[in-house]
Amino acid sequence: MLTEAVGILVILAVWGGVSLLYPPYIIPSPADVIAGVSDYLPVDLAHHLIVTLGRIITGFLIAFVIGTAGGIVTVLTRADKPVNSLMVALQVVPGTILGVIFLLMFGIGNATPILLVAFLTLPTLAINTVNGLSKRKSTTEGYLRSIHATNWQLIRYSYLPALVPVLQSNLSLGMSMAVKVVVLGEFIGSQDGIGYLLNNARILFNMREVFFYLLVLMAFSLGFQALHTLVFTVSLKKYAYPEAV
Amino acid sequence: MNADWMIQTQDLSKCYGDHEVIHHISLEVRCGERMALFAPSGAGKTTLIRILAGLEQPTSGTVQLNEEYPALIFQEPRLFPYMTVEENVRLPWKVRGMEWTGQVQCEFEEWLDVAELSSWKRYYPYQLSGGMRQKVALIRGLLSHPALALLDEPFQSINRDSRTAIIEHIRSRNPELTLLLVTHDPEEVPMLADSVCYFTSNRLVSPAKLEAHRFLDIFSQYINPAGILTAGY
Repeated sequence: MLTEAVGILVILAVWGGVSLLYPPYIIPSPADVIAGVSDYLPVDLAHHLIVTLGRIITGFLIAFVIGTAGGIVTVLTRADKPVNSLMVALQVVPGTILGVIFLLMFGIGNATPILLVAFLTLPTLAINTVNGLSKRKSTTEGYLRSIHATNWQLIRYSYLPALVPVLQSNLSLGMSMAVKVVVLGEFIGSQDGIGYLLNNARILFNMREVFFYLLVLMAFSLGFQALHTLVFTVSLKKYAYPEAV
Repeated sequence: MNADWMIQTQDLSKCYGDHEVIHHISLEVRCGERMALFAPSGAGKTTLIRILAGLEQPTSGTVQLNEEYPALIFQEPRLFPYMTVEENVRLPWKVRGMEWTGQVQCEFEEWLDVAELSSWKRYYPYQLSGGMRQKVALIRGLLSHPALALLDEPFQSINRDSRTAIIEHIRSRNPELTLLLVTHDPEEVPMLADSVCYFTSNRLVSPAKLEAHRFLDIFSQYINPAGILTAGY
């Protein structure tokens, strides 16, 4: 929590410093943005916040489940190299093009931003899972084999614990990406959500509003980061203990 | 057990590519025998132990073990970092679906006492020293009274006093234990083994097993500090 709070303070300090160098219609100060909130915020902001949050979580969960499960299957079937190549190839598909394709396929609504989040986040999570699992220690696996552990016991005592730090980094990495991508999806194929509001504010050069929505997106990202750090620290900390062979 | 031998190998060889790590080794360890394979570093002894434990296949030759669950204790402890000392020791019981009885708990406490680990059982491996971790691995391997133990340099990070206490405990608690100890420390041989073979450059050098208590008398003048036989042998 402290780390996230320090992060926000640093961003605010840098933003405040830079805003001194430019007029408010280019870079408004944090104080300007907060003071003018009542002038520019839509009355249905809560609706937009909930919609965007829902899209981030849905798209991210699709990517998280498929990417992580796909990564595990890849390692178990020793197909690391071809799958890694495929994922790297998928990563270079431009998000805007993919967004337009989804828009044409599914029209305006939830589908485009959700699918965009899922498709653009999934390769990173799959690659991260494969890399994380490939680095697990083989010494404990050797011990388990020496006591005739079954395949399920190998997964339970060796693979799943190795997966915990991978899941943690997947949550952190994937959620930040999802927040960024959902904005693109809402730019292209939506008529609500924070991305939609941000796009309108950008077109009108209403920079106070633009900066406000950027703050909201950062808060999403940092809030989620703080939440999963708390969960891992409280319940899964022992899986991060260093290997001592 | 249906034979008087515990380990039999016949013309056992192992190659990695062109490199022959083990050269036609034939060996028999009888039930209840405690044999040391005395070997310098790099002689191929870990590979031999891994083949005996079924973790690797030989290139040629045969291996027979008269015990389904030998205890294999590696050079490094191989503890699970997310388990406490007690959880690590209990793991083989969980894996084999055995009951952790009150009797086992008593013997576990006894082992902890001998190994000076009584106050450490709820600690995690990263909180222990290298010697303490190795002692935990020994307890994990030997607590279940295995009929056969394959020990690959298990005492190298354990101090002398502790090593003596543990070896005495093994001898008193597991009198029937058949043991194959691989070591490059000449002092360990007479402490734990009844017989000894010298193993170097991928083959058995000594023509027959020597009695362990005579080992130092015979070999000490030829062994340099690295545990390697000098040219006089």
